[in-house]
Amino acid sequence: MKDNNPISPHIQIYNWHISSLVSISHRITGVLNYLLLILVCFWVISLIFGPENYQYFKIFSKSIIGKFFIIGFIWSYIFQILSEIRHWFWDMGYGFELKTTKITGVLVILGSFTLTIVLYLFNGVLI
Amino acid sequence: MVQINLPKNSKLQKGKYYKDKTGSNNLRKVNVYRWDPSTGENPRIDTYEVDMDNCPSKVLDVLNKIKNEIDPSIAYRRSCAHGVCGSCAMNMDGKNGLACTKPHSEIKGDINIYPLPHLKVLKDLIGDLSTLYKQYESVEPWLKNSNDSSKTENLQSKEDRAKLDGLYECIMCACCSTSCPSYWWNGDKYLGPAVLLQAYRWIIDSRDEDRKARLKKVADELKLYRCHTIMNCTNACPKGLNPAKAIASIKKMLATS
Repeated sequence: MKDNNPISPHIQIYNWHISSLVSISHRITGVLNYLLLILVCFWVISLIFGPENYQYFKIFSKSIIGKFFIIGFIWSYIFQILSEIRHWFWDMGYGFELKTTKITGVLVILGSFTLTIVLYLFNGVLI
Repeated sequence: MVQINLPKNSKLQKGKYYKDKTGSNNLRKVNVYRWDPSTGENPRIDTYEVDMDNCPSKVLDVLNKIKNEIDPSIAYRRSCAHGVCGSCAMNMDGKNGLACTKPHSEIKGDINIYPLPHLKVLKDLIGDLSTLYKQYESVEPWLKNSNDSSKTENLQSKEDRAKLDGLYECIMCACCSTSCPSYWWNGDKYLGPAVLLQAYRWIIDSRDEDRKARLKKVADELKLYRCHTIMNCTNACPKGLNPAKAIASIKKMLATS
């Protein structure tokens, strides 16, 4: 009988909070960053093989898909770094008050987008 | 294991609709999770129209009103109705809390009531907390002291006593543990915020002589470090405590000792 008991709904019904959103994004960007390192490898390889080969990377980086990848890459890393700083403070035992976590969570989200835009503008030549 | 989807026997069905019979103009729809162990059917969501003109202020009052006046078959736990016993912990409006302290005026739109998340449902809003109680027992939540307290008082300084503030108030309602995604996925191994807060309550007690052993026992990849500071626990705690901070304090003690 007991095995037939249903499991009550969980992620389907639970509200998202800023902190849970940042937490799952931290995980996702962590995995993404790992995978996106492949892109960096291609970039380095194209550099090693000289200017002609680098042209392929340049064409890729100017395409819409390329831009999407590079901007996504920048955002993903910035998000991870900012969120990791938040985690450092937590590891030292600071910033656990609900209000503080909300503010730092919003700062991580806004900061990641702002810094991405700033980097994009300043590195417009590359992208 | 992370299982996002509910198993087949837990999928929700459309339930019954109880139309208002009082003729009130101030109605609210209340959607309640129902599961009857005697039928073998899947759980369903029943909807009740409740006359809010004659209903006190808390969600528990709404449930009492439904049970008394509309549908006596509905099952839920409740006892003190003053936020002290922790019996009426449930998920209301997508967040865990105590039905007896949660005002329904804080909820916009329909009132959705579910049992505490990711538990075996025993009936309707009653979840099976036996795993959590076993885990609670495993941290040995009692004072270990070689002093014979029948002869002398076991004194504690004001400062040491203050360290227990924010911990001793916990009523073990399980709102925090069942709000934690880590506990959803690894509830059989990860101790969860409620039990870890209790563990810390004894670790930090100056009168306890078993601190080292307690720390050693809890220092485990699965028991403790499944906490990823998602903060759902602190967001959910109806007593305003901070289990996430307590867990971080344990981690810090382990890292620095």
